[in-house]
Amino acid sequence: MELDELKSIWKNNAPGFQSKDESQIALMLKKQSTSIIEKLKRSVWFELIFTLLAGMGMLVYALTLPSGALKWTSVSALILFVAYLFFFAKKLMLLNRYGLAHENVKSNLELLVNNLDSYLKFYKRSYAILYPFYFCLMLLFIGLERGADEFIAAITRPEKIVTLILLAIFFFFCSTWLTKWYLKKLYGNHLEKLKCLLHDLEQ
Amino acid sequence: MATEEEKFTSLINQHQGLIHKVCIMYENDPDVRNDLFQEIVIQLWKSFGSFRGEAKITTWMYRIALNTAISGFRKQSRNIKTEDIRESHFNISDHGEDNREEDFQRLQWAIQHLSEIERAMIMMALEEVPYEEIAETIGITQNNVRVRMNRIREKLRKLMDT
Repeated sequence: MELDELKSIWKNNAPGFQSKDESQIALMLKKQSTSIIEKLKRSVWFELIFTLLAGMGMLVYALTLPSGALKWTSVSALILFVAYLFFFAKKLMLLNRYGLAHENVKSNLELLVNNLDSYLKFYKRSYAILYPFYFCLMLLFIGLERGADEFIAAITRPEKIVTLILLAIFFFFCSTWLTKWYLKKLYGNHLEKLKCLLHDLEQ
Repeated sequence: MATEEEKFTSLINQHQGLIHKVCIMYENDPDVRNDLFQEIVIQLWKSFGSFRGEAKITTWMYRIALNTAISGFRKQSRNIKTEDIRESHFNISDHGEDNREEDFQRLQWAIQHLSEIERAMIMMALEEVPYEEIAETIGITQNNVRVRMNRIREKLRKLMDT
């Protein structure tokens, strides 16, 4: 079948559609974009605002506490919240690198694949660092709660060391698996589809 | 004096057929198709300020519409399976007498079986977009467009004969 034949079939039966008037089009401009990058940006902004509010709440709470383990816990969590702000800022920077879709299809795919890839890698790496950090923090709080001498005596026992190592390995693998699963479910499949399309174009 | 928004809505109004055709090419569900139409309009509006008229207006519109449909849009609701489309199309054509209508439905069904890039290319070709413009929109050479178009035509022929 020749292309001209296909064109004639297409031309004689142009697909029907319900045309929109200018007021309907103008109304669409007020709506939120549902593009993958815009959705990611919105979720980062939501996490950022939530962290700020939780941080402020924690600060007010810490100020009312007398000196002690709980106060130190709150202060440590506040330091962690400040670190999180940098983490969110970096995430937004990565997402903002992706411009508007006015490149050709191939360049746009390359840009999107690279940006999504580096965003997801950054997400995974940051959690890979944060989870062990939480683990150490948990040990520190137990130490503060029990008293330094008792804590050191407890964790230097061989069976405790083995338990801690096993616990750390379990904690690390579970958290890494959870992060990978979460990211794949959210964006991984879409990224795979984009990579396949790009591969198709490069062949 | 017309505002930027008025100029834009009038431009979209004039060329909305192009956006509708991209939506029809990529989505079967009418609700998802509507969402895609809206997303393309939003992306065109975002890019409107930077459009300086160096490229043809339709080239610019094809680029953004296709980029949105292919890579930027993730559908929220279910997808109608292509098998369902074929069935419904053939059910209609079984009762109809117009061969051209049947050919058109068979063509539409065959197009649904092409990859997303191939769909973009055949749609532009069917709309009489020159190969040079197709190459520019997709980001490949004109020779590559020719080779791919031959492959697509062959695929469509086989699909339409089954």
